[in-house]
Amino acid sequence: MGNTHNYLDQLLFGVAPYLALALFFLVTIQRYRAQAFTYSSLSSQFLENERHFWGMVPLHYGILVVIAGHFVAFLFPRTVLAWNGHPVRLYILEISALIFGLLTLLGLMSTLVRRLTYSKVRTVTSISDIILHVLLLIQVVSGVYVAVTCSWGSSWFAASATPYLWSIVMLDPDISYVIAMPFAVKLHIVNACLVIGFFPFTRLVHVLVIPNPYLWRKPQVVRWNRSPEARN
Amino acid sequence: MNDSCRAARKPLPTLWSCILGASFVLLLVMFPESARGQETAAFFKQNCYSCHTINGGRLVGPDLHNVTKRKDREWLVRFMLNPQAMIDRGDPYAKQILDESRGVVMAQIAGLTRERAFLLLDLIEAESALEKSQFEGVKFSDRPFTAQDVFQGEQIFKGLTPLANGGPACMSCHTVRGLGLLGGGRLGADLTKVSERVGGRKPLSAWLVSPATTTMQPVFKLHPIEPEEILSLVAFFEDSAKRVGDDDSVAPLTFFLIGLAGMVLVLGLFDSLWKNRFRAVRRPLVSGGEMRTDA
Repeated sequence: MGNTHNYLDQLLFGVAPYLALALFFLVTIQRYRAQAFTYSSLSSQFLENERHFWGMVPLHYGILVVIAGHFVAFLFPRTVLAWNGHPVRLYILEISALIFGLLTLLGLMSTLVRRLTYSKVRTVTSISDIILHVLLLIQVVSGVYVAVTCSWGSSWFAASATPYLWSIVMLDPDISYVIAMPFAVKLHIVNACLVIGFFPFTRLVHVLVIPNPYLWRKPQVVRWNRSPEARN
Repeated sequence: MNDSCRAARKPLPTLWSCILGASFVLLLVMFPESARGQETAAFFKQNCYSCHTINGGRLVGPDLHNVTKRKDREWLVRFMLNPQAMIDRGDPYAKQILDESRGVVMAQIAGLTRERAFLLLDLIEAESALEKSQFEGVKFSDRPFTAQDVFQGEQIFKGLTPLANGGPACMSCHTVRGLGLLGGGRLGADLTKVSERVGGRKPLSAWLVSPATTTMQPVFKLHPIEPEEILSLVAFFEDSAKRVGDDDSVAPLTFFLIGLAGMVLVLGLFDSLWKNRFRAVRRPLVSGGEMRTDA
């Protein structure tokens, strides 16, 4: 049993990240070369805008901040640990991260409900969208759950997850940092691999298109060139 | 038809190209795992020494001096590989060890194979034959703790005094009762009664020399805790075991509710920032409403 666990851990934390990264890079590049015009978020904002706002805005701002936080802890772990060296600063960081995690969760739930309940949007929803939604939902729910029940993530991420991630980057995976983590943390890691591997097959590729003015562009301007009388 | 349109009609990358690429990377990464190895003595020091001595007396676990004479090797190896399973099976000697260890179950050791377990027993046997084993135990000061030690320990626990070798503060993963506010971390165990749990000053000090849990070991093998820091931390843990502070078991709920309240505030901010947003695009136009050209 112990050995079975060992092999499973090796597969999930030592091999799966490379499979995910290989898929990510190979397919992303090949798709861009073969189907550059499919690099789009395929926005459904034109079909429905009111509920879309309460999904899109919290989701995007939430996830960008949360992902940026993961990157900061990955790149500057000593700085994060030094910042967290004072409990009040630790609490401020953790509460801020939780707020943006919850915004992501709310945004994701909102977009999912909209996709399933609004007929026009449901019509333009593909299987890949559904799979992606489920994967993202698992990722965000597990992330929020870990943040609340396995505190303080910003510190132990810098101490344990960062060395693990760097060992992956350096092609010398050291899974000892993660094999004893609680189930929710392991789920978060494995599901992250699934999201990264599935990424190039989905509309998520739009995040790679630069420049990406979605976050700061002016509101959409729509002009109707005919007068109401002319339409009647 | 221009080139772009022709490119757009090319099929998506085939599954085969993905599988081939992924398999190539898989082969590349299989090698480093096998290259990692540890000498038996170093393995013992890193994984066993925090709870056991050889002829140095009991710590959290029993003194391993002549352990191969007390029990046969096959049984010992089975126990080393999965202590919990032996206890669950109702093995009387495993239960006796558990009782003597105050209910602390020996952690399953990462990377311990059957072959390595036998090598460890060889090492213990050889060390037991010596007059003075290198694993006799770390000597710690036994002077009485002072209020300054307790204070210093609390500072280290909270991270206000960083650990000299760069290890993360205990509060990152652990809590003790009475920390206040949102308390400490909850990834690891509540350490309020850890001093009583492991049997007092000596075992706790030894344990902190090389923390042996699977989560802490990889972190602290690179950032060991200094003896003076261990002294202060043990003083703090002994003190915290005596104190009855506020029960902070509601801290996770408080934390979640603060996060929820913050989220509502940010949503309000979004609503006010985009107050001039389109609330519908087609509806007013199709239904013959006023022509809109602004946002």
